[in-house]
Amino acid sequence: MMLPDSKVELVHRGNKVVYDLGDKIAKVFNETKPVSDVFNEALNLARINETGIPSPKALEVTQLDDGGWALITSKVPGVTLAEKMDAEPQRFGEYLEQFVDLQIKINSYTCTQLNRQFDKYTRMINSLEQINATTRYNLLERLNGLKSKGYVCHGDFNPTNVIVGDDGEFYVCDWAHATQGSPAADAAMTYLLFALHSKEQADAYLELYCERADMPMQVVRQWMSIVAASELARGRKVDEEFLLSWIDVVDYQG
Amino acid sequence: MVKKPTAAPEVIDSVDALEAKLAHMREAQKVFATYTQEQVDKIFYEAAMAANKQRIPLAKLAVEDTGRGVVEDKVIKNHYAAEYIYNAYKNTKTCGVVERDEAYGITKVAEPIGIVGAVIPTTNPTSTAIFKCLICLKTRNAIIISPHPAAAKCTIAAAKVVLDAAVKAGAPEGIIGWIDQPSLELTNKLMSDVDIILATGGPGMVKAAYSSGKPALGVGAGNTPVVIDDTADIKLAVNSIIHSKTFDNGMICASEQSVTALDSIYDEVKAEFQYRGCYFVKKGKELEALREAMFKNGALDHRIPGMPAPQIAELAGIKVPAKTKILIVECTSTDPLKEEFSHEKLSPVLAMYHAKDFQEAVDKAEHLVLAGGPGHTASLYVHPAEREKIALFEETMKACRIVINTPSSQGGIGDLYNFAMAPSLTLGCGSWGGNSVSENVGVKHLLNIKTVAERRENMLWFRAPEKIYFKKGCTPVAIEELGRVMGKKRAFIVTDQFLYKNGNCRAIEDKLDELGIAHDAFYDIQPDPRLQDAEKGVERMRLFEPDLIIAVGGGSAMDAGKIMWLMYEHPEANFEDMAMDFMDIRKRVYTFPEMGKKAYFVAVPTSSGTGSEVTPFAIITDAETGIKWPITDYQLMPNMAIVDVDNAMTAPKGLTCASGIDVMTHAIESYVSIMSSDYTRGLSMRAAKLVFENLPAAYEKGASDPHAREEMHNASCLAGMAFANAFLGLNHSMAHKLGAYHHLPHGLANAVILTRVMRYNAAEKPVKMGTFSQYQYPHALHDYAELGRYCGCTGADDREVFENFITKLEELMDTIGIKKTIADYGVDEKYFLETLDEMSENAFNDQCTGANPRYPLMSEIKELYLDAYYGREPQSYEA
Repeated sequence: MMLPDSKVELVHRGNKVVYDLGDKIAKVFNETKPVSDVFNEALNLARINETGIPSPKALEVTQLDDGGWALITSKVPGVTLAEKMDAEPQRFGEYLEQFVDLQIKINSYTCTQLNRQFDKYTRMINSLEQINATTRYNLLERLNGLKSKGYVCHGDFNPTNVIVGDDGEFYVCDWAHATQGSPAADAAMTYLLFALHSKEQADAYLELYCERADMPMQVVRQWMSIVAASELARGRKVDEEFLLSWIDVVDYQG
Repeated sequence: MVKKPTAAPEVIDSVDALEAKLAHMREAQKVFATYTQEQVDKIFYEAAMAANKQRIPLAKLAVEDTGRGVVEDKVIKNHYAAEYIYNAYKNTKTCGVVERDEAYGITKVAEPIGIVGAVIPTTNPTSTAIFKCLICLKTRNAIIISPHPAAAKCTIAAAKVVLDAAVKAGAPEGIIGWIDQPSLELTNKLMSDVDIILATGGPGMVKAAYSSGKPALGVGAGNTPVVIDDTADIKLAVNSIIHSKTFDNGMICASEQSVTALDSIYDEVKAEFQYRGCYFVKKGKELEALREAMFKNGALDHRIPGMPAPQIAELAGIKVPAKTKILIVECTSTDPLKEEFSHEKLSPVLAMYHAKDFQEAVDKAEHLVLAGGPGHTASLYVHPAEREKIALFEETMKACRIVINTPSSQGGIGDLYNFAMAPSLTLGCGSWGGNSVSENVGVKHLLNIKTVAERRENMLWFRAPEKIYFKKGCTPVAIEELGRVMGKKRAFIVTDQFLYKNGNCRAIEDKLDELGIAHDAFYDIQPDPRLQDAEKGVERMRLFEPDLIIAVGGGSAMDAGKIMWLMYEHPEANFEDMAMDFMDIRKRVYTFPEMGKKAYFVAVPTSSGTGSEVTPFAIITDAETGIKWPITDYQLMPNMAIVDVDNAMTAPKGLTCASGIDVMTHAIESYVSIMSSDYTRGLSMRAAKLVFENLPAAYEKGASDPHAREEMHNASCLAGMAFANAFLGLNHSMAHKLGAYHHLPHGLANAVILTRVMRYNAAEKPVKMGTFSQYQYPHALHDYAELGRYCGCTGADDREVFENFITKLEELMDTIGIKKTIADYGVDEKYFLETLDEMSENAFNDQCTGANPRYPLMSEIKELYLDAYYGREPQSYEA
């Protein structure tokens, strides 16, 4: 198919461009993106739609005339929470509370058909070439020892993926990394995403999350080296040194 | 057919290779399992010697391979793993019969478990490998090692040294194996395929071991806190801690992680640390830099374990003297969330806390153990005489090793600072640490111990009062002894109203007067004696303060007398506990209080039936609740019985009949009881014969045949001694309930079911028989016949004698006017049927049931009741 000329480019990042098609959104990937990943994201989104979590609706996966693939979803009129946070820094605390409450709410859903977090992290750790076999072994050993659970985890939960709808509702988009697993891991990932930009914001987030979720902070911290490894495996090349410093830790020994 | 094993794979780097290796090892282990103790000990010796010889090259390799630790200290660990483990177990029996007790018939046989899967960490690779290999060889197990990838080379080298020596000494080829290229997939595969896992490592590995589905001996992280009390020898304390903390640069899991010193000595402790070369990190910039360098998100940076203190300081940009031993961080929080330094650091870095007093120090230590090393190790420095402080510490710590005045690294592994603690490099942390063992792991954890139990018979005893006076007219003689020989001064008589008013106690009272023994009496006792009456009597008894209690009467007065004696001696005693049913009186839960400290108890029977004068039984009824408390213990046995027919001459006909047949039932039931013995059977036999010969005359002629009366009085006492030791059976259980529910006099209730219960017990194929080691097969028929023959019955075989015995009993019962059925005694049919199920269940549950030769089903009891109620023809009770 062809995208209409009226399309408006919203985001251009790495191997993808997001367009506003008026009543729909098209997430267009270039040919380097494995087509199975596109279908997987559509499948994840469809499953999330079925749980009732407020999110754009999955509509279509289609190949474009230039050979790339696109995921077409419904459009949620509104602005991202990230934009709001940037526009009104004095209200950051308030927005952060809403953000944390939304994450805890998502983490309370179950979806037995989603991919398993443990499998995803195992795969990502094993795919890492930047770290040696011993470090991979240590990470897998740590992952093995952590409690696996079955809650919906977004896997990339950050304010750019939260849309504050014109109707006042919060919607969550970009479910490419969604799994079922441990909410603590999801929180660790969000902490990491904040920390890449601001250690202060990250700490504020973690403190608030642990308080609201009534979760001991070390339960989240146990996941930090693992989420850092999985972020590294996405191969975005930026912040590699920072991520490596998080990964190289040892477990307590008997 | 023996499967010829294919050659073992050379390199284990895949699941297929691992499976092939394990199959090969399984064959090797089968052969090893047949080795004798001598062969095993030779292998153990040679393997230990070889490891010992290689301790320096292996230590060097461990440091080179892992980049961590101190060569000289690793030499000690290797040396220890070889020498101390050998020394500890050289004489331990691990093959075949390891224990035998002929008297008790117990044999313990040790067998290997099979293949042990060993996970070995980077912190102590070579010494742990030597240790695990040696204890597996000693126990005839095969062992396959999954090394950590960062320590694979040295771990495998250590295992190979032990393997080569073992094989040279005769062990099967390939009895020790390892994964050459470790991966988590192979480690998990190994754990699921071996027979037991010896996992040493971090929480992830230990959890994986426990969730593998195989039994696991896993150990976890430690976070040893030290408390230094103000009574401690500070020089010894500080230098022991330094010695331990610097050992292999702090990589031993039992190593100290924090020190809490009391305020009064804090500065002195600090000064000693500084004097001996430790560096106190300055609060603020230095401390934060160190924190930044050592921890990432609360986890320890990978470079830190086993790193010398100056190098860690350098990482943090802190300038310290070149030979600094330990970096000490003064902290306030013991919460690992707020203070990373409170946790395990695997390096020469120590946290230090203040405490205002000993209690606060103990509280901090408790918190530190639970937060970071539950179940592992805790350490206390204190003056050895401060037992209370040591006790508080050992009670509080959730740690499986509590070391006192001892460097914890060396102390925790055992045999270095305390020679009764088992040496080990795998330290169990108990359930607090999620472990199956709480002690230092050794050879006993790698053996399956088979217990061979040969049949033995229960120990028995025979108990009777210390003195039984008998013969007509013996009462005054006995009282004389009580006064003149035993010097009793104050006598308290317990009896019933009828006997007292009838003057039955007068002879006794006169004799007491004659001897100058003060006396008082309580005679408000009724049949089925009531607790409330006994309480009244005891009140009076307490005021009188007797040193002699004389119970005069039938079962009721003697039972009430025993209970009053008990309450007098032990006002605190609880009936509910004392009345608890038991399976074996020698193993009962309740320990009866000792009797006789205040008063000597004499029983004087005035009827010939219960035998209570020589039994350990008493029954008392709580009139408020209606509960009947059957109290049994040899402590309740009278000290003296006076069996003088002069006290029993006046019994009316009805009582003679009922109590006489009760004696017969005692004799018969005690004879066939599963607890009967040659010591009781003679008594039962003689009692039964005396009843046959004398009961009709005693019944018909009463006081005019004093000889028959006397024989019955003796028979009652003989049967009492028999069942005091052999107990009774189902007949009594059922009769008790007929009495309780339908008020049949006890003797008659026994009689109306007697021959039916005998037939039931005589079945040669009972549904179930009684449980008692001596009771080897159902033989009640033979026993009844034996008793019948003694009483004059004859016949071609046991069955015929038994039938004649039954006939003889029925004739006797006819003679003394016993009715044939329960209905004949006027028990209402409707009420009988209504209560039947409950009565059957309660009869089943009666204390007497346990000694019955046939273990009854409730449905069988119900049938017996119905048969006896309607007078049905006896049925076959064979299964």
